[in-house]
Amino acid sequence: MSMEDYDFLFKIVLIGNAGVGKTCLVRRFTQGLFPPGQGATIGVDFMIKTVEIKGEKVKLQIWDTAGQERFRSITQSYYRSANALILTYDITCEESFRCLPEWLREIEQYASNKVITVLVGNKIDLAEKREVSKQRAEEFSEAQNMYYLETSAKESDNVEKLFLDLACRLISEARQNTLVNNVASPLPGEGKSISYLTCCNFN
Amino acid sequence: MADNLPSEFDVVVIGTGLPESIIASACSRSGQRVLHVDSRNYYGGNWASFSFSGLLSWIKENQEKTDVREDNENWRKLILETEEAISLNKKDNTIQHVEDVCYASQDLAEDVKEAGALPKLPAFGASDTSEAAQESEKECLPVESQSLGTESCETYPESVTCNDLESTTERKDAEMTSEREHLCDATFDQSALETGKTENVSTAKAAALEPKKITYAQIVKEGRRFNIDLVSKLLYSRGLLIDLLTKSNVSRYAEFKNVTRILAFQEGRVEQVPCSRADVFNSKKLTMVEKRMLMKFLTFCLEYEQHPDEYEDYKECTFSEYLKTQKLTANLQHFILHSIAMVSEANSDTIDGLKATKHFLQCLGRYGNTPFLFPLYGQGEIPQCFCRMCAVFGGIYCLRHSVQCLVVDKESGRCKALIDHFGQRISANYFVVEDSYLSEKTCTNVCYRQISRAVLITDQSVLKTDSDQQISILTVPPVERGQPAVRIIELCSSTMTCMRNTYLVHFTCSSTKTAKEDLEPVVRKLFSLNAETERESENGGGLGKPRVLWAVYFNMRDSSGIDRNSYDCLPSNVYVCSGPDCALGNDYAVKQAETFFQEMFPKEDFCPPPPNPEDIIYDGDGTQPEDPGFSSSSNTKTEPSPKESSDGDSCKVSEEHHEE
Repeated sequence: MSMEDYDFLFKIVLIGNAGVGKTCLVRRFTQGLFPPGQGATIGVDFMIKTVEIKGEKVKLQIWDTAGQERFRSITQSYYRSANALILTYDITCEESFRCLPEWLREIEQYASNKVITVLVGNKIDLAEKREVSKQRAEEFSEAQNMYYLETSAKESDNVEKLFLDLACRLISEARQNTLVNNVASPLPGEGKSISYLTCCNFN
Repeated sequence: MADNLPSEFDVVVIGTGLPESIIASACSRSGQRVLHVDSRNYYGGNWASFSFSGLLSWIKENQEKTDVREDNENWRKLILETEEAISLNKKDNTIQHVEDVCYASQDLAEDVKEAGALPKLPAFGASDTSEAAQESEKECLPVESQSLGTESCETYPESVTCNDLESTTERKDAEMTSEREHLCDATFDQSALETGKTENVSTAKAAALEPKKITYAQIVKEGRRFNIDLVSKLLYSRGLLIDLLTKSNVSRYAEFKNVTRILAFQEGRVEQVPCSRADVFNSKKLTMVEKRMLMKFLTFCLEYEQHPDEYEDYKECTFSEYLKTQKLTANLQHFILHSIAMVSEANSDTIDGLKATKHFLQCLGRYGNTPFLFPLYGQGEIPQCFCRMCAVFGGIYCLRHSVQCLVVDKESGRCKALIDHFGQRISANYFVVEDSYLSEKTCTNVCYRQISRAVLITDQSVLKTDSDQQISILTVPPVERGQPAVRIIELCSSTMTCMRNTYLVHFTCSSTKTAKEDLEPVVRKLFSLNAETERESENGGGLGKPRVLWAVYFNMRDSSGIDRNSYDCLPSNVYVCSGPDCALGNDYAVKQAETFFQEMFPKEDFCPPPPNPEDIIYDGDGTQPEDPGFSSSSNTKTEPSPKESSDGDSCKVSEEHHEE
């Protein structure tokens, strides 16, 4: 672990209706690819990208829903210990926007209350099919105290900006927390993942 | 999304408890097409954990025992003449005698309304202030009408008021939802604010010394912080579940804490049991002679198999009789029998006891000073972690999805399909069904045992020490020989299962009567049930017993250890998984899952490690870095990293481990 080559590690979790382009956003950002018409990637749990921001190496661990959103069956544990949530809808699909309150309810229930949430309207390359106006989305995100961004995974519009801005916010949040929160207070993420707990034997 | 469910799978798994979830993930991992359904709207079945409000609705549901909804027999038309239907249960019958009692102050003081003026804590910076204002506006809305909305997306963003009990939670410490309004009125009373403040100020120590008076309203308000397990188990650090979690990498979805203390109950007192070498030497309770005795005996237990002459003569005796023959004081015998071996005084023989002691000692030190681990957010996370793994490998998940019946081919006697509540016929080669889904008819000849459970929310630990963040296990031996011992697990708030300044205490034993009859006598030994009077008498500063703020008792069916032949007319390709058993560990569930998987797919590996996401190399070379124009919403300026602009393959593949 001493070889860890980064200053910060953040877990970013994507949520939103099926088909809004979550996986495409992740693949665009991490691999620079737009896989048209491709289903969920089998066997890939999360993707990693390390970026450098102001000289700090930031490792982003980006988690996708693994298709569990299809029938509204996301596990609570998916939300645990996420530092940021990217709530995505499709600007050409009114339904995906209308479902946002339901997603917010899940966030309220299961995510840490310190989580940063970004609302993303994806598929702006299909402007002619737009069903959700930018203004409506902005009003909504403002009311819910979320950041808002419109993206196109296909045209690679705003995708880097989305993740890099988020990384910046996470860094400043993390800095603040170490200043304010240096008391031994139980926080999520304080537990240990079992593979890394140290070993020492009875004898 | 009008998403259609495929109608052909290799394996259909019904129920999302631990064994079913392990099987689902093993099957999916080995390339089978898996459909995993649960009729409930949450994961885990009787292995689930709930927020406080979630538990209240669970209690209500199980107390009401409402009549089964009208049976729609339309699905019968889908059964061919050459087929037979095995209908499944419409209603879960595994929980009985549910009784909840509130001991905490429930009075809703009249001045609670005034808190509306200071809606919430200014804890999370300026951004929250606007939210607070907005939230309090919402409070004035006629929320009742909104709760009539279907659970779909009819409500617009502005009306994000939760409309079912499940979601009685607060967003960023904001207020409660509409339906429980009568309760949340009290959430802004002064004491609530005070407790809230301590979250950000370091008064943890002071709080430990002078427990705050926690009201029922506060518990409701902080309800989201509770993750209350229906089963109370721990993971042996060298148990089958830990081995499986690490082998399959499912462990990456969960975090664990060590149990910090092993406790014993002797002569009305709770005391800590020294079990590691360091503990033994540091113990102030043990005399030098006792320390030597204990170390000698424990060292022997670790390699007892090599010294059969030491116990050969006592093979037929109980372990407790055997201990009496050893050079051990009564105190030490008690520790070893009840807290280390944790075997029955009356029924366990010497070999059982030695084996259990050895297992305990072997587990010691793998991850810490006790042999046990507890998952953050509760045991209920574990089945979900396996479900995630299943989904990652393509398994399809449907909660709130009931199955009407299994369809059996008369000629072959095999189950070939199921019919779900939409009347869709879904075929598969194998069916895995959790016991509680089977109808009474199928289970007529099955004899179930019961587990007695109690869950308490208390205000102090059963054994106060410098640190108020302890996870403890305590076994209370039976008063009468032959009765079951009661296992108690006390969780502190850093396990993410209860709110700050409270403890969650789980009681478990195999049932002889109702849960309350079995367990309340033990509860009374350890806790004070009368919050108010106790406080008066405690003013002198005496260390009274911890107070129970709230409690629930229930009996749960134990469907472990049932011979499959006792189920009526079960096709050979239908496997029945048990609900939770009474044991402390999870070995039974893991064994069952592995056995069933091997029967279905004898040639396949059981949950091999998946490729590390960080080792997957994608062949994509089509990186077209966009111009990162960071300017607007963030006030931090970033520069595009050299790596971004120069390196074409932007997916950094490395050997690093990921860890929070």
